[in-house]
Amino acid sequence: MHKLYINPLPVRIWHWTNALGFVLLIATGLQIRYLDLIHLVSFRTAVVAHNWIGFVLIANFFLWLGFYLFTDKIKVYHPELSPTKYFRASFRQMQYYGYGIFRGDPNPHHVSVYHKFNALQSMTYQIIMMLVVPVQFFTGVLLWDVTRFAAMVEMFGGVRVVDTVHVLFFIFFTGFIFIHPYLASLSHTPWAHFKAMITGYEEVEDEPEQGAASR
Amino acid sequence: MSALQHKVLVVDDDPVVGKSFNRVLSQKGYVVVTAENAQEALSKVQEGEYDVVFTDIKMPGMSGIELAERLKVERPWTPVVIVTGYGSTANQERAKAAGVSSFLEKPLSPEMIEGSMMKALLDAVPAVLPGLVEAVHPEPAAEDSHLKKVALFVAAPFIGLLYAVLLPFVGLGMLAYLGIKAIKNNATATKVASLIAAPFIGLAFVVTLPFVGTALLAWLGVRALIERAQAE
Repeated sequence: MHKLYINPLPVRIWHWTNALGFVLLIATGLQIRYLDLIHLVSFRTAVVAHNWIGFVLIANFFLWLGFYLFTDKIKVYHPELSPTKYFRASFRQMQYYGYGIFRGDPNPHHVSVYHKFNALQSMTYQIIMMLVVPVQFFTGVLLWDVTRFAAMVEMFGGVRVVDTVHVLFFIFFTGFIFIHPYLASLSHTPWAHFKAMITGYEEVEDEPEQGAASR
Repeated sequence: MSALQHKVLVVDDDPVVGKSFNRVLSQKGYVVVTAENAQEALSKVQEGEYDVVFTDIKMPGMSGIELAERLKVERPWTPVVIVTGYGSTANQERAKAAGVSSFLEKPLSPEMIEGSMMKALLDAVPAVLPGLVEAVHPEPAAEDSHLKKVALFVAAPFIGLLYAVLLPFVGLGMLAYLGIKAIKNNATATKVASLIAAPFIGLAFVVTLPFVGTALLAWLGVRALIERAQAE
C-alpha cells in the first residue's frame, strides 16, 4: 500500500463546500416544496437561505471549473475516446460492483494521478459536473427572480417547465447524496476514500512493476 | 530531444519510493530506474548516463550523502536530489557542500516529485547540457495543447451522455452474443433453442413468403419480356 496525492486542496475545498451546500439546499428545497408537511424553518427563511446557498455553490462551481481549466488535472475529466475500451472497462466495473466486490476480488480500476475515476465514475461525473449541475444552477437562477428573467423563462416553456426540470434534478441530487457516500465507502476500509478527501492522499494498493520505465 | 530520452535514477531501500517516482515520472515520459542501495546505484551510473539522481539519506551501507559526494566527484554534471524523512542541518550542510541540487522531504506528493525533477534539470541546463532545456517541459510533443485539453473537457459530458445511452444496448448485445455462444456450445441447449425458435422462424417464413413469391414472379416476367424482345 502506498499513498498518491489525488485530491489537491482546491478540489477538497470545493468538494466539502459542495457537500455541505447540497445538504442545505436539499433541506431548504424540501421545506419550500413541502410547506404543509415540513416545519423546519419559515417559508421565507427557507427561500432566502436556498438562494444564498445556491449562489455560494455557483461560486464554488467556478472554483472547481477554474482549477481544472488552468491545471493539467483537466485530464481527470477527459473522456475515453475509444468506445471499445470504454465499454470493456465499464462492464468490468459493473461486474465488480455487482459481484466481484462481494467475493473480495480486486478493483479492476487502478487509481493514478490523472486517472482517478473508473469508467462509470468518469461518465457519471462528466455528465453531472458539466451538464446536470450547470442546468440546475441555471434553472435555479431563473426561479430566483422569475420577473427579471421572464422572457427567458417564457422561452423555455414557462415557470412550470423550468420548475419541473429544477425539481427533477433536485430528486436526482437527493438520490446522489445517499448513493455517493455508500460508493465512497467501498474502498479497502470504509473510511479510506473519506480520509483521502480530507488529506488529499489516496491509499493505493501496490501493483507489480511493469514496462521499460520500471526496469 | 523528448522527455522519453531522459533517465532518472531513484535510490532508496524502500521500494515504494521508487514506485512512486516511477508512477509520477513515467507518466511524463521519463525512464525511471531504481536502486536499493548506494553500491547498486554507483554500478548503474557506471553502466549508463542519468539525467537526475534522487537518493534517500539513510540506507544500509553507504549513505545517500556519501553517494552524492561520490557522484559529484565522478560525474559533476549529474544533478543529485536528496530525498529524506530525516532532514538534519548537518546533513543539509554536508550535502550542499557536495553540490546537491535540492532536498526533498517525505511524504512526497506528485507535485513535489515533478517540481524537483524540473528544478534539477533547470539547474543543470546552463552549466552542462543546453539540450536539456526541452526536458524542463516534459512531453512537449506528446502533450496535447491546452486548447485540445479544454475541447476534450467540454466534449466530455456529451461523449459521456452518448456512452450512457449506448451502454444498455451494448450490454444487451453482449448478453445476446454470450447467450448464443453458450447455446452453440451445448447440444441440448441448441435443440431446446431450436424448438423455441421454430414457430418464430416459421412465422418469419410465412410473412416473407408472399413477398419472395411476388418478387420471383416479377423477376420471371421481366426475364420473359427481355428474352422476347431479344428474339424479335
